[in-house]
Amino acid sequence: MSQQQTKNCITLRGSAQILCEYLKFAVNSVLFQRGLYPPETFKAEQQYGITLLISEDPQIKSFLTNLLTQSEEWIINKKVSKLSLIILNVANKEVLECWDFNVQYEEGDVALSKEKNETVGSKDLKKIKQEIRDVMLQIAATISYLPLLDCRCSFDVLVHAKTDCDIPEKWAEAEPVAITNAQNVQLKSFSTSLNKMETIVSYKLND
Amino acid sequence: MAKESDVSLFNDVLEPFRRVINTEPPKDRLSMSAKFNFTESNNTSPKSDLSNLVNLGKRKPSFGGDVETPGKRLRTDSTSSVPPSPWEAKRLKIDLIGAKAQIAKLEARINHQHAIRKEMQILFEEEKASLVEQHKRDERMVSDMEDRLQLIRKREQDLREEFSESMKEFKDTKFKWEKEKMELQKQNSELKDQLLQANVSCKDQISEMQKDMNELLAALEDAQEESELLRGEVEKLKAKADQCTALKSQLEKQSFELQQVSSKLKEIEYERDSYKDWQIQTKTAQKRLVNMAELEKEVARLRANERTLRDAICNKLLLEEQVHILTGKVEALQPVQQELHEAKVKIASLEANLEEWRSAARGHGVESARALSSALENALSGQLTAVETSTQAESQLAQINEELATVKFERDKATAKLNDLQTVRKNQESLIHRLQKRLLIVTRERDSYRQQLDSYEKELTMTLSGDTGAGSAALLSARVEQLEKSLQGYRDLLASHDQDGQAKALENARAEASKYREEAEAAKREVSKLRAQRDQLHAHLDKLAAPTKVLHLADNPAAAASKQMQVDLESAQEEIKKLKAALREGGSRACPEEIQELKQKLENSRIKLQRMKEEFTASAQEYRDVCYMLLGYKIDRTVHKNYRITNMYAESSDEYLTFTLCDDGIEMVHTDYSASLGDLVEVHLHQHRSIPLFLSALTMELFTRTTMQQEVQEC
Repeated sequence: MSQQQTKNCITLRGSAQILCEYLKFAVNSVLFQRGLYPPETFKAEQQYGITLLISEDPQIKSFLTNLLTQSEEWIINKKVSKLSLIILNVANKEVLECWDFNVQYEEGDVALSKEKNETVGSKDLKKIKQEIRDVMLQIAATISYLPLLDCRCSFDVLVHAKTDCDIPEKWAEAEPVAITNAQNVQLKSFSTSLNKMETIVSYKLND
Repeated sequence: MAKESDVSLFNDVLEPFRRVINTEPPKDRLSMSAKFNFTESNNTSPKSDLSNLVNLGKRKPSFGGDVETPGKRLRTDSTSSVPPSPWEAKRLKIDLIGAKAQIAKLEARINHQHAIRKEMQILFEEEKASLVEQHKRDERMVSDMEDRLQLIRKREQDLREEFSESMKEFKDTKFKWEKEKMELQKQNSELKDQLLQANVSCKDQISEMQKDMNELLAALEDAQEESELLRGEVEKLKAKADQCTALKSQLEKQSFELQQVSSKLKEIEYERDSYKDWQIQTKTAQKRLVNMAELEKEVARLRANERTLRDAICNKLLLEEQVHILTGKVEALQPVQQELHEAKVKIASLEANLEEWRSAARGHGVESARALSSALENALSGQLTAVETSTQAESQLAQINEELATVKFERDKATAKLNDLQTVRKNQESLIHRLQKRLLIVTRERDSYRQQLDSYEKELTMTLSGDTGAGSAALLSARVEQLEKSLQGYRDLLASHDQDGQAKALENARAEASKYREEAEAAKREVSKLRAQRDQLHAHLDKLAAPTKVLHLADNPAAAASKQMQVDLESAQEEIKKLKAALREGGSRACPEEIQELKQKLENSRIKLQRMKEEFTASAQEYRDVCYMLLGYKIDRTVHKNYRITNMYAESSDEYLTFTLCDDGIEMVHTDYSASLGDLVEVHLHQHRSIPLFLSALTMELFTRTTMQQEVQEC
């Protein structure tokens, strides 16, 4: 019984780590799927029971590590409400695509939390991974309907944090983005029982 | 309480005996003790009573002892106490009997209880056993089920793994096949390239050969010119020969003069004989000289023969060399051919493979590779869309479930309301019931009143029978009747009122219930509407994302990319400027070094070509000269496969032979000169069938002719 408990116990930090890991793979997957960087700079990796591609570009790698370590802190302190991966045209800085990762905070397992004296969840890790895998498959499937990016594009990640959040070093405030004539597609969401992650892609509809 | 009442009852019953039965002192004491004991036990609470009973049952074997002990104590006490009175003794005896009876009764009861308890115990134990068994069975079943579940999960896991593995295998094999295909295509293209290269090289060779040929032709023309020159020389020589003949004629004239002198000498008689001898001698010498010429001619002919033979040997060597070269070429070409064959075989196998693929594809109703890929793509996209739709369906299901839950909640509320209403109705019904009861009470009261009235009437009649008479009685009865009527009226009123009230209440309750229901429905609708609105507003709120601030890393890839873009743009503009400036300056300055280099290369290659040409013409000339010098014939190629042969010793440039290269050797073409060589042609070509022999013979003949002429001239 006690073993079972320890096995299914997810702390806030662990939940944030799961979220950040998902974000890392999701961002890399989007970068690969949308063809922002040449495919030969990506390396295949097994995760969530499927093969995912991870960029080997040192710049992208360092960017993502900086971003995700800070984001993890913020998620633990419940400061972040949304992370947006925006894809923009480098020439005129027009936002062509926006991948919103909404972070919601949940109660977790109340009884177990009382017992442990900290907020914990009791969802099975296997199930969480399965849910994440479903989302990943959906992200891979989006390529079939997302419009072709036929210009020189780059990406940025905007963190929608609470107003009382301090701005750390190397970070800056950015303008919120808006896509004209946007089309929204809600993908599956997954939950660690402490955090719920919704993934929404909005893209510019060319008619 | 019951015990006490029992005891009192017991005492009551036993009261009459007390008077009858005489008592004995020791028994009194016993009974006292028993009573004492009993009262003691009676003082305890019912609960302890029961425990006492149980204790009593348990202590059954030692019961007598227990009873005796107080007696003994009492006995010791009695020594000091005053002996009791007979009445007291009697009473004690009675008590004792009663107590004994009670004891017996209680014992019976205890036994009975024990029996019941045992039975119950047995029953319980049986039940317990059965339940334990059931429990065990259940546990076993549960464990079995768990095992089975485990097994099924394992199987599922295995199957999943198998599926993923097979998918992987399929992908691998596909990838491999594609790779193979690619490789084979590459090989195919390489082979084609090789073929093309071979063709090109062949063509190059042919063109080179043609070039050689042309150069050779040019050389031939040069040689012809030379031959013209030589002919001129020959002409000169002929003139010389003519001079020689003139000299000969002079010689003849001299001999004639000599004869004249000899005739003169004949005329001189005595010197005649000696002169005759001398003449004979000269004649014989002349004859001998003629013979010598013939011999020399023969020698020349033999020499020519030898030359032709040598020529033939040389020709043979040449041919052998050619054959060697050709065999070498053939050997070089054989592996190429082999490769070509192999390539063909490979191509055939590849085509078969391709056909298999195609047939496999056709088996799936696909005609071309693109269609196959598109079909695969379609299948994949279909899967993806299916996944998507399934997710959508799931989300819808979740939504519906939520709605269902809310609806259930509403329904629960409504049912609660309904229950409330029902309770209200019940209350009202109970009220009605109460009213009816009250009515009953009232009617009873009325009846009682009526009875009372009757009794009063009776009393009145009894009292008034004497003095007042029937008048007042009639008045009273009339009054009673009036009262009864009014009572009836009241009752009717009450009844009617009650019924109406009840009906009304029921109706009201129903109406209220229906109203509440409607309200509940409306509320439900409103709730769903509000929920939808709330969702919309939520979405709107999310979109607005009011109280957040947007942060990002300062050195993000977008900024880097834009910076890079700026840098690129600047550099490009700079370069454009530079280039424009260069264009304005004079254009061709673009890359002088390269141009220079290329020019140098061109010059070098030209020089090389020139040198090679020179080398070739020199070597060709040398070769031709050597051939001419060794074999005595100058060979010129007039037209395709036509060769003109001129002998070294030919007297004029018209004396030439023409040969044509045919499929089965070389043939001599009829010319004017060949017609003049009838016997040689007959001997060497028709009989010996050897052209070299013929040519050698001709050389010999011509040589002897010229040498003879020279000799004649020398003479």
